[in-house]
Amino acid sequence: MTRSLDQMVEPVGQHQNRGGRIASVLPIGIRRIRTSTAALPMGLGFLGFLVLISLVSVLWTPYSPAATGTGPVSAAPSGAHWFGTDSVGSDVFSRTVAAGRTDVLYTLTVVAIALLVGSVWGAIVGFFGGWLEWATLRLLEVVQAFPALLMALFIISIVGPGTVKVILVAAIIPLPDFVRLARAEVLTKKNWQFAEAARMVGNRPMVVLFKHLMPNSSRPLLAYASISAAWVVGNIAALGYIGLGIQPDAVEWGSMIARGQSDVVSGAWWESFFPGIGILLLAIGFQLVGDGLSSRNQGEER
Amino acid sequence: MAVETVASPSPRGFVVPGPVRQIGRRLGGAFLVVFGVVTLTFLLTRAFAADPTDLLSPPNATAADRAAVRSRLGLSDPLPVQYLHYLRDLLHGNLGTSYLTGRPVTSDLLDRLPATAELATYALILGILGGVTAGVLAAVFEGSIFDRMLRVVTSAGLALPQFWVALMLLWLFFVKFGLLPGPTGRLPIGMDPPPKVTGFYLIDSIVTGHLSDFGPALAQLCLPVLTLSCGVWSPLARGARSAMVLALKSDYVRTARALGLSRRRIWFVYALRNALLPVITMLAGTVAWAFSGSVLVEGAFGWPGAGHYALNALEGSDFPAVEGFVLYASILYVIVYQILDLAYDLADPRIRS
Repeated sequence: MTRSLDQMVEPVGQHQNRGGRIASVLPIGIRRIRTSTAALPMGLGFLGFLVLISLVSVLWTPYSPAATGTGPVSAAPSGAHWFGTDSVGSDVFSRTVAAGRTDVLYTLTVVAIALLVGSVWGAIVGFFGGWLEWATLRLLEVVQAFPALLMALFIISIVGPGTVKVILVAAIIPLPDFVRLARAEVLTKKNWQFAEAARMVGNRPMVVLFKHLMPNSSRPLLAYASISAAWVVGNIAALGYIGLGIQPDAVEWGSMIARGQSDVVSGAWWESFFPGIGILLLAIGFQLVGDGLSSRNQGEER
Repeated sequence: MAVETVASPSPRGFVVPGPVRQIGRRLGGAFLVVFGVVTLTFLLTRAFAADPTDLLSPPNATAADRAAVRSRLGLSDPLPVQYLHYLRDLLHGNLGTSYLTGRPVTSDLLDRLPATAELATYALILGILGGVTAGVLAAVFEGSIFDRMLRVVTSAGLALPQFWVALMLLWLFFVKFGLLPGPTGRLPIGMDPPPKVTGFYLIDSIVTGHLSDFGPALAQLCLPVLTLSCGVWSPLARGARSAMVLALKSDYVRTARALGLSRRRIWFVYALRNALLPVITMLAGTVAWAFSGSVLVEGAFGWPGAGHYALNALEGSDFPAVEGFVLYASILYVIVYQILDLAYDLADPRIRS
């Protein structure tokens, strides 16, 4: 129906995630046929592990993540500092696990906003159609023609930094995909028998939409939310890396990589390496959960 | 998207052929999107952005001085008038003057495009060849160790931020092994570029006989190209794999097998050609993305391309420059997409039904 339906099951790069109707010609079958059943538990394991570490880091880290001068400056990993220290002598291990908290929380919030706003918006335009649908689709085409990350940076440079602003701006990037997916879901299902039946017994349209149609579309939307979360992780890290938006004193993986950048070129790889591994684990965890959820969807459809 | 295959008679009695109507409709749609992009960019920078007057006035400027700056920038006009002026300037290819460089944004961008284009071209060649080959092989040997390995590698390739990959490659090849040069842009510091013919240093150095530039320029290209191509080949390998798996399971492949065709012929002639069709669609986004200059990759390698320019402009609140780059990149997307959409419609008769 729209490209999101296809992409839901075959995640592609952000840079593929845009543009008009091209992907609508993708055969519905562009999806992973042979899906490993291990994806979902593995992904949940990854995410659970990261959440656990984040929770533990609230109570205990070897050193305070904000403390400077906990040891020699830019020291290699050792028994005292498992991941080494950075250019101001902060403990990289403490900072990495504490940063996980920020990134996990930001990512979940961003995806939740995009999922909620996107599905309601998409469902309404798909259900009622008309000029609202036309205008929405044109607006999405325009927004998706912008280079995603640059647009986010651009808006932040205009509206100024701040946690809430960063989260809202980061939510704009995946939003169009949720709108399209929800619209496609409602469009395909609104004439199915259960929807007919719900209408026939006299339910008002809004009730049919939100009590009958939406719950039936929740699984693909959730699967896509998880896949999209993998991209959100990268975007948030990129915002932190550039240093626009996220406060400089916030402990965040992207800004840690930026802080270590100049030292990496003089040999201290550990300052930037470990935060990157954090991003990798979080993104792959979301990818796996998304893969697992969407392969279950297909199993049901067959 | 249902487009009639049979052309319907137009009111004036002559028949407009289907493809022409289709092209017309597409161009109309593309124009609408470009117009929307232009308008949104204008609104973002003029209606919501901070007033650039402070940036351009000396600290001790009087109210009159500031008013002069404002009227020079055209900011004293009402918004609709500013919008019309903006549209008029755009039609003349005038993107405004950069606050930072003091030069027209259009010529700034044109100066930096060859660097981005050279990087993008090689990264695309490497990424497309590598990605499609790996994906097709993984599908042919589905379930093999190679297939599983590829899946892990592409997952990582999709999940890792490119600025991190860039840093780690720099550490490995520049710091640790000293095999490749550091992030000093297109040439080592102090070297003069070859005379400009195409703007691609590798080609120019051969064409103009400045062969001593070839080696250093190639060495500088290695890491940025490798980093950028990761973003190309990971999604392509996945897409190619699933398209090929699907093709290999299709009825026509079964028929071909039943007819006793060789496996190689089935794989590379029948299945591959069908599998490549959806891969070509994925390509559109990749091409546009690479040519709009990966902002962060160019930043990490000090590559003097359009993306790096945009990043600097962003950090210096140089709105005309950012605006110019955003417009360039989004219009590029629209054009690449429309061309591929159209080619696809014409190439695959199934879509038109």
